[in-house]
Amino acid sequence: MKLATRIIAALGAAALSLGLAQAAPSGAPVRIGSTLALTGPLSGTAIIHKIVGEIYVDDLNKRDGLLGRPVEWILKDDQSKPELARTLYEQLITVDKVDLIIGPYATPNIIAAMGVAQRYNRVLIHHTMGIPSLAKYDMQFPAWSVGPNPETTVPNTLFDALAASAKPPKTIAIVTSKFPSVYFMSVGAREVAKKRGLQEVLFLEWEFGNKDFGPIANRVKDAKPDFVFVGAIGLEGNQLLEAMKKIDYVPPMHYYMYPAPGPLAKLPEAQGALAASIFEQHPPFTNNPIAAQFVKEYNARAAKAGLPDNSVETQAAASFSTWQVLEAAVTATKSLDDKVLAAWLKQNQVDTIQGRLRFDRANNYGDDLMRVKQVQNGHWVTVWPKEWAAPGAKLITP
Amino acid sequence: MPSFTLLAQSVLSGIFIGALYGLLGLGLSLTWGMLRQINLAHFALAFLGAYLTFQLTHGAGWDPLATLLVVVPCFFLLGASMHWLFARFAITPFNSLLVTFGLTVIVESLIQWIWTADQRLMDSAYGAVRFKLGALYVPLPELLTLVLAVALSLAAWAGLRYTDLGRAMRAAAEDAPIAAAFGVNERSLSLLLSGISAAFAGVAGLCIALSFTLAPSQIYAWIGVVFAVVMIGGLGNPIGPLVAGIVIGISESLTMALTSPAWAPLVSFSLLIVVLLARAKKI
Amino acid sequence: MRVTASGWIAIAGLALATVPFFKPPAFYETFLYLVFYWIVLATSWNILSGYSGYFSFGHGAFFGAGMYTTATLSGRYDWAFLWTLPAAALVAALFGTAIGAVVFRVGRLRGELFALLTLAVTFVLATVVLNTRIDGGQGVNLGGVALPAIGPTPSATFYFLALALTVITLWTARGIYQARLGTGLFAIHDDEDVAEVLGVPTLRYKLVAFGVSCALAGVAGGIHAMFVSYVTVGETFSIIVPLTVVLMSVLGGTRHWLGPTVGATIITGLVYAFTAGDYAIAGRAAVGLILVVVILFMPNGVLGRFAGRSRTPTRAPDANRTAPAAARSTAPAQTRQQRQGEILLDARGVSKAFRGVQALDRVDLQVRRGEILGLVGPNGSGKSTMINVVSGHFLLDSGRIAFGDREVSGMAAHRIAHAGIARTYQIPRPLAHMNVLENVALPAMFGRNSLGRIDAEREARDWLEFTGLAGKADALPDDLNLHQRKFLELARALASRPSLLFLDEVLSGLTPSEIDNAIATIRAIRDQGATIVFVEHVMRAVMELADRIVVLNYGRVIAEGLPQDVMQRPEVVTAYLGKPHA
Repeated sequence: MKLATRIIAALGAAALSLGLAQAAPSGAPVRIGSTLALTGPLSGTAIIHKIVGEIYVDDLNKRDGLLGRPVEWILKDDQSKPELARTLYEQLITVDKVDLIIGPYATPNIIAAMGVAQRYNRVLIHHTMGIPSLAKYDMQFPAWSVGPNPETTVPNTLFDALAASAKPPKTIAIVTSKFPSVYFMSVGAREVAKKRGLQEVLFLEWEFGNKDFGPIANRVKDAKPDFVFVGAIGLEGNQLLEAMKKIDYVPPMHYYMYPAPGPLAKLPEAQGALAASIFEQHPPFTNNPIAAQFVKEYNARAAKAGLPDNSVETQAAASFSTWQVLEAAVTATKSLDDKVLAAWLKQNQVDTIQGRLRFDRANNYGDDLMRVKQVQNGHWVTVWPKEWAAPGAKLITP
Repeated sequence: MPSFTLLAQSVLSGIFIGALYGLLGLGLSLTWGMLRQINLAHFALAFLGAYLTFQLTHGAGWDPLATLLVVVPCFFLLGASMHWLFARFAITPFNSLLVTFGLTVIVESLIQWIWTADQRLMDSAYGAVRFKLGALYVPLPELLTLVLAVALSLAAWAGLRYTDLGRAMRAAAEDAPIAAAFGVNERSLSLLLSGISAAFAGVAGLCIALSFTLAPSQIYAWIGVVFAVVMIGGLGNPIGPLVAGIVIGISESLTMALTSPAWAPLVSFSLLIVVLLARAKKI
Repeated sequence: MRVTASGWIAIAGLALATVPFFKPPAFYETFLYLVFYWIVLATSWNILSGYSGYFSFGHGAFFGAGMYTTATLSGRYDWAFLWTLPAAALVAALFGTAIGAVVFRVGRLRGELFALLTLAVTFVLATVVLNTRIDGGQGVNLGGVALPAIGPTPSATFYFLALALTVITLWTARGIYQARLGTGLFAIHDDEDVAEVLGVPTLRYKLVAFGVSCALAGVAGGIHAMFVSYVTVGETFSIIVPLTVVLMSVLGGTRHWLGPTVGATIITGLVYAFTAGDYAIAGRAAVGLILVVVILFMPNGVLGRFAGRSRTPTRAPDANRTAPAAARSTAPAQTRQQRQGEILLDARGVSKAFRGVQALDRVDLQVRRGEILGLVGPNGSGKSTMINVVSGHFLLDSGRIAFGDREVSGMAAHRIAHAGIARTYQIPRPLAHMNVLENVALPAMFGRNSLGRIDAEREARDWLEFTGLAGKADALPDDLNLHQRKFLELARALASRPSLLFLDEVLSGLTPSEIDNAIATIRAIRDQGATIVFVEHVMRAVMELADRIVVLNYGRVIAEGLPQDVMQRPEVVTAYLGKPHA
């Protein structure tokens, strides 16, 4: 029996890459519950996670489901509100009585869901949690592998990449939104830059929701930094860059914390812009057949859903990894028991499309897998570290 | 010490953003002051206009300015029919705020349904053009916004002051029964005014599309500051919003140029508080 | 035994308190927590804004003040969570009252101006919190703060906390609604000047309402900080909180204490009805559509029909009424006999200017106890300004006014009303949302006698009978004709049993036979012991009624004396009549 399951599972895995239909899973469905910010201010990104989830669940069901049972994803709309996320997770657990839960999108909502998971001793695998120190629950597992101290490790990766480039910067300007998860990273980057001996020529903060980026652009221009670290979330990166363009200023080198990747890459002025990423749809990432298949499927579905940007990057890859981690744990333990799953995850590592994940460091975080990518000719390409760089790609300096 | 260029460019930047505040506030102020309707849906209409501009420019390859030929008449009808609905139900000023909030939510959903919640950026030929004025830069989209804001504000002012129709409107706003006794047809004037205000929202939408990346939830991002502009400018005053917008724009941009930009909202909203308190005595 | 509304609240609260013991799925407790949370926020908003008409858009600030108080005290200073709640109430209440103390003193700022002002306060507070150590930008995490085990589970604990706060809030809302405070606030809602002149201490009442409203919102914020466990500026001070609160209150009905409860329940339920992932966008549009339809078809809210109707406890005519007004008013009449002729009101050198126009110019005016003084003069001569100054509506620029042995110049209008001065308005200013009886009972409650509601209504009925309005007691002022509205003004002025009564053109617009009637009524009032100053253009009435006449022109007293005598003086004839009086 066990052997048979394992063989079927193996066949299923093979079928994924071959795109073959498999004998349908049977029995009562395994029900997995989650919320996403499908409406409200965060809805721009939630749609990505919805598409990824649908792809994964469809694919699971084409294979053997989970433990031979079909999988049903119960998705609710938390309307971008943490209090709603909390209540809906309680509904999923205590009323809908789902078998498993996975995380919502965005730090405040994940924290809200985490509290619920903790009270009911449920495993919570989540993506896009920006502040690891807030993840205090021992049965939560981050599938977005940024390590326990991204505020130090991510900037260090970035400065390593810059130091290895043809023109390492000596002066730095840090400008940042006071959006909590971004601000957290910018404050960290400030410390790291100081330690590494970069001279800070400007540090500016603005309130999230600021509309006039003209004066900020001007002050950056006046400060004449070699490198601009932009703590911007979503559109803010675009807005700042547009404001710079309007005064004919091109920052020599510039980095954006959590930009809206599609719109940023499309801006001609963004040539050379850097950002962090865990996945880009080019080799060596796409050498993984699962990743290649996913990229193809995602591109098609995103286009069909009318998304202006169809490529797979951090968000979609983190979301996909969540499902991969969940599937790996369930398949390996043949269990839907939260304690069993958690114990297994703490002991083992999981191969995902972003790389190998482990959960054995502080707050169940593992390695910082953030890489550095750059806009080159309208496309994002990974440039650092070298083993993940796109074939032939290098960090371009002016 | 900040350089002169930095300060001057910041002032310019404040004028441009202020012009957009003023343009957004113009229609809002007119219907608020003269029809006693607090039209939250004005912001939703502006973004609907922005998305239509985006669609026609991006999808159908129109020139951004040409989209006004479609947007303005459509929005005029939309605004007039909205007012017809309000008049039909004899809605109170405060309830107009709530009904238009409901309409805003509907429009927001409509936008998200058609264009998704993902950010949309319109790239037009205008975006890349900028002029140089000494050491200062004047980008075309912003200049266009300023010109449109000034032109429409002046046109509204002149229209209300010098045309018979405008005078009748002001009379009706001041004292409807007396105006009616003098043969002013208040109902059709109100429809006209609402239509014009909605058309102004459409024009503001064009300016938003020219300079900003679009997302449905951005509708709410403008409410606070534009309300402040409308209130400082004086309800129903066609020039007020533009002046107040520019004052707020400049004070914010100078705050950002000289101190921490994160404190900028403190300046504009403190200004609003002071203006409101100063005005309280006169009432 | 009849159960009062407060009793029902307690019963409902107790019944709901048993819910967690049936061990329902925690979701229901949490859902109800959110319903309670919104009920508290909406009801607390309504205590200030619905009752008094000061529409606040700053509820996010007051709720946020409570939220950050709890977040700071428990997150940074390790206070026990429950102890932070009184602090949250206090901080929010102090913050609100401080704003009120500034705003209400500066001037009259109502409607959208007040709404915008409070909204601006919200953004200012948000900026300060964001840029100081209170938040700093990274949000405040309360994950490590211990939640006291009030209920069997954490969700039950939140449920109990919110339920208790809801019961307290509804008691408060209902209590204020019934109390003098509520009546005073509703009067402020309709016409603040009139309320003040009738004796309502408007400033104090507004501040109390503001403080109570903010305190309740502050506690709700404190509990909610713990509920969301991660507090950020963006979530806390968004425009959505005040909008939702206003929406809920208006939907339920702002003139009823239970209105916000109804609205909050409906809207929270609606939000949950549309959380299915498949139709999220359509669901949001549906919520918008329902709002539009409900407001269009129920402009006064679900409970709008009950507005201002259920507050008055005694509605049936009082069978036990003892003596008619005239008989009960004889006590002052006796003292009148002894003290007639003594100076009751003594104004010396009173000046008042408006933007350069000298409305009153060093006016001396003495009113003697028991007389009817005619105050006459052409339009714009300063008669109405004089009334406004004496009744405390305007502060005078110079001079002093003594009433009996008290100095009243500079006193707040409601204290002058307490001292025994009442007035009518030339153009009647009834409180539009109160019926005739409530209008007249108001000064009896708030005037110098400060009667309880039942006594005040008995008193009011007497005066309605006296003025011939007894049949209209339940009508709203809008349903009265001009004649009746004038007599409503009169009844309202009389209901406080003033010792000095200013009548501002009560006769204008009346027919000759109505005037005859009114003259008789005014005589009757005087015979009951009141001293009367009446401003009038109807010369026949002046000549018939006045014991003495004072003539004002351009803000100066130009003549004073017996009617026949004064009206024939040439300077009066030229100034006032233009040509000799027939």
